[in-house]
Amino acid sequence: MANDTSITSTTQTIAVSALRAQQSRMRIIAENIANANSTSKTAGGDPYRRQAPVFRTTPVAGGAGKGVKMERAVPDKAPFNSAYDPGNPSADATGYVKTPNVDPLIEAMDMRDAQRAYEANLNVIEAARAMDQRTLDILKR
Amino acid sequence: MLHMELGDIPIFSMLKSRLGYLSDRQRVIAENIANANTPKYQAQDLKPFSFQSHMQGAQGSSAASSVAATPAGVMAVTNPAHMQPKGSKAGVVMRKSPDSEKTLDGNGVVLEDEMVKLTDARMDYDAAITFYQKSLGMLRTAIRKPGAGA
Repeated sequence: MANDTSITSTTQTIAVSALRAQQSRMRIIAENIANANSTSKTAGGDPYRRQAPVFRTTPVAGGAGKGVKMERAVPDKAPFNSAYDPGNPSADATGYVKTPNVDPLIEAMDMRDAQRAYEANLNVIEAARAMDQRTLDILKR
Repeated sequence: MLHMELGDIPIFSMLKSRLGYLSDRQRVIAENIANANTPKYQAQDLKPFSFQSHMQGAQGSSAASSVAATPAGVMAVTNPAHMQPKGSKAGVVMRKSPDSEKTLDGNGVVLEDEMVKLTDARMDYDAAITFYQKSLGMLRTAIRKPGAGA
């Protein structure tokens, strides 16, 4: 794919890089939602910390196009929530349990955003394919 | 020996650069859409293509020969506004997006606008291809033996 010089295939490579990036983002969101209630294994310890994906422009198709990739996931430094639950094994001496700084609403919105971006990139691939097809149509009659 | 190629006919060379321009534009739009979530990324677009500027270039001194001398698969540069498909970003212009659409991370891509532009590019491409086919049809009509019927 790296040596592919066709313009439309560059377009498709760009869109595919974005599909992968959005998928990685979805994975991070899934981790956040799955661990929305994960408390520490030790008493008084820190619970799951929310991760945030970071996107970055990256050259694709041998530098012919600017694609995108998920560079890394950075921990959200927002403070943990806490709940009074003395019976919980994760509770500290005062009976409070630190709960993750994950807001399900934010994750849901992020997920919608990722889905929308994913669909937009699928449309790009479809448009590129249709344009290629039209070019090939010249060969017919 | 007189050697004539399809690209030497002005309408075909014009349509060729038009198609090349639209493919390039589609690539730039794809970049915008791909980077719709990249911090600080600004949407880009190509300068509008005009047949006028193409015509002015084609009437210049060595324009016709440069079209012919261009190797296959490489777009002829008969005008400063033309751009090469690979690497060179001469024709790409930075477009400022309205502040209301800029997100907190500084991304200025409006997905809806880009989708509209994508459809635009695709329709223009379709139109150019249809033009190309019709022109080929006219050539065929001209080649046909007189009295051979339609």
